[in-house]
Amino acid sequence: MAFESLLAKKTRTLLSMLGIIIGVATVIAVFAVGKGAQESVNSQFQNLSANSILIMPNRGRGFTSSSKLATGDAQLLLSADHISSATGAIQGNATVSYGATDKSYGVVGVDANFITISNLIVEQGRGIEVDDVENKTTVAVVGSTVVSDLFSDGTSPIGTEITVGGKKIEIVGVLKKLGSRIGMISVDSAVIIPSTTAEKSILGSKGQVMITTTVDNVDNTAAATSSIVSLLRTEHKLKTTQENDFQIMDAGSMVAAAQESAKTMTALLTAIAAITLLVSGIGIMNVMFVTVAERTKEIGIAKAIGGKQADILSQFLLESVILSMVGGLIGMGIGQGAIPIISYFDWISMASSWTGPLIGFSFSVLVGVFFGFYPAFKASRLDPVDALRSE
Amino acid sequence: MPASLLFINMSGKIAIKLEDVYKSYYLANGEEIPVLKGISLEIKQGEFVAIMGESGGGKTTLLNVVGCLHPLTKGKYFLDGENIGDVKDDFTLAFIRNKKMGFVFQQFNLFSRFTALKNVALPALYAGMPSEERLEKAKKLLKSVGMGERVNHRPTELSGGQQQRVAICRALINDPEIILADEPTGALDSKSGIEVMEIFTNFKKQGKTVVMVTHTAEVAKYADRIIFLRDGQVLSHNYQLKSSY
Repeated sequence: MAFESLLAKKTRTLLSMLGIIIGVATVIAVFAVGKGAQESVNSQFQNLSANSILIMPNRGRGFTSSSKLATGDAQLLLSADHISSATGAIQGNATVSYGATDKSYGVVGVDANFITISNLIVEQGRGIEVDDVENKTTVAVVGSTVVSDLFSDGTSPIGTEITVGGKKIEIVGVLKKLGSRIGMISVDSAVIIPSTTAEKSILGSKGQVMITTTVDNVDNTAAATSSIVSLLRTEHKLKTTQENDFQIMDAGSMVAAAQESAKTMTALLTAIAAITLLVSGIGIMNVMFVTVAERTKEIGIAKAIGGKQADILSQFLLESVILSMVGGLIGMGIGQGAIPIISYFDWISMASSWTGPLIGFSFSVLVGVFFGFYPAFKASRLDPVDALRSE
Repeated sequence: MPASLLFINMSGKIAIKLEDVYKSYYLANGEEIPVLKGISLEIKQGEFVAIMGESGGGKTTLLNVVGCLHPLTKGKYFLDGENIGDVKDDFTLAFIRNKKMGFVFQQFNLFSRFTALKNVALPALYAGMPSEERLEKAKKLLKSVGMGERVNHRPTELSGGQQQRVAICRALINDPEIILADEPTGALDSKSGIEVMEIFTNFKKQGKTVVMVTHTAEVAKYADRIIFLRDGQVLSHNYQLKSSY
């Protein structure tokens, strides 16, 4: 009965559903974005141990226009309190060519212990060794994406010479696919070379220095941080009035900050979804009032032939619930369908979940019940004789 | 009131009895418009009664009061000997309208979206009859009034006479003891009107009580008795039509 009534007014039914469709699709997007952000935070930091402390240059703020931070500072930081290891790296972008392929990749100049400290795994060949750094050798360890881009024909990259930033470099190792990042660079599309080589001839002053240190115990992070700060300030000969020319971040607070921003985004989208559902609910209420007004005579007839208030209430309530439920299902389809498309184009990181559609759908039904109740209640209380008289 | 005393000694069970019934409407500004002004009447079980009277005299209001569509302003309403005049509970009133009475309207009042079959079956749905049973019963009823071929037609695809027969079937589906009709032939041509009245006279044979509002003497003459209203009061409990009809 409810279906027949809804089908009789297709355009109106569809229009009033639109709000719910958008609302539910938004709810699904919220959960997908939330989960996607969580996953990207996790993958970004998966090669970062909880006891890592990162030091990066601080540029362009106030009068500290340049930073003296260099990869060599890593050696100095070994003497900081509670620091068990330290490694310097310099990162930037360079054009890599091999055969007919030219592509820009992230280049990371590293010390010998960088690969181990950063939890990277060399799958084929060898890593960057002490001799490489000392002798400024022209060797590279590359990420899996670089290999699949350049060596699509399946030839082994080990021992092959490629051009990085105009310089010939021999590939000596390939990293395992990890999906994680080193600073701004994805590990899988990174070209890792000795730091000395990078500083001297490939990245030069364009490179961004990053020092990764590990604390002997996570509880000592604060003590280690202040020790690092005082050592670097002395080394960089900063006056007490000057700001640090470096920024220092420990893994714990970086993860926390990233999670915080992911949470903020989710909260924002949740608010949008809630507002959309509220507005769509008002839309449904409006449509139901119009429907009740239009069918006043029918309500009178229904009462005259023995329809109870409860029958009429449930009839109209059912209609609004069907309206919102079908809208919810369509919204679910659109929301879920959009996730792979958005992920494919890499606009925003999204991951589908069961909670999104489930909550979205439940809310659509709730909206139908909540906003459908008042019009349905009004309908059920109409005076039968007045209702019969209406045209 | 000698007129009302006329029927007290008549044999047969009393189906409907009104005692000094008043019904007023209230305007938005609170002004009272009295429509029924102290109506007392009795209708026996199996009786076919026509209610006549001038327009504005309260015929339809009286029928709505008897049909439990209107609460009384004052007075007593005995249905099968039980006073239901002050029952306000929707569940009970709906139950009475559903099971005890069947309504037939001038404008048929069928649901245009539903087929004839579904229209007829609707009161049985309200009564909680299982789907298969009520559709079967509806089909049987439609067949009995010669509508067996048109069960799946919608009201718009039926003539006025056919629609009214569907509406009569709807009134009958829950086997009510009382049929209430408000100008049942008012929107019909004379041939269909006669067919409808023949169905109504058949109710009498089935022991059903019929209360019919009409302003047409040709229709009223099918009734056993005519109650004539004037200005909200019973003018006659056994009104005699002029011989010219």
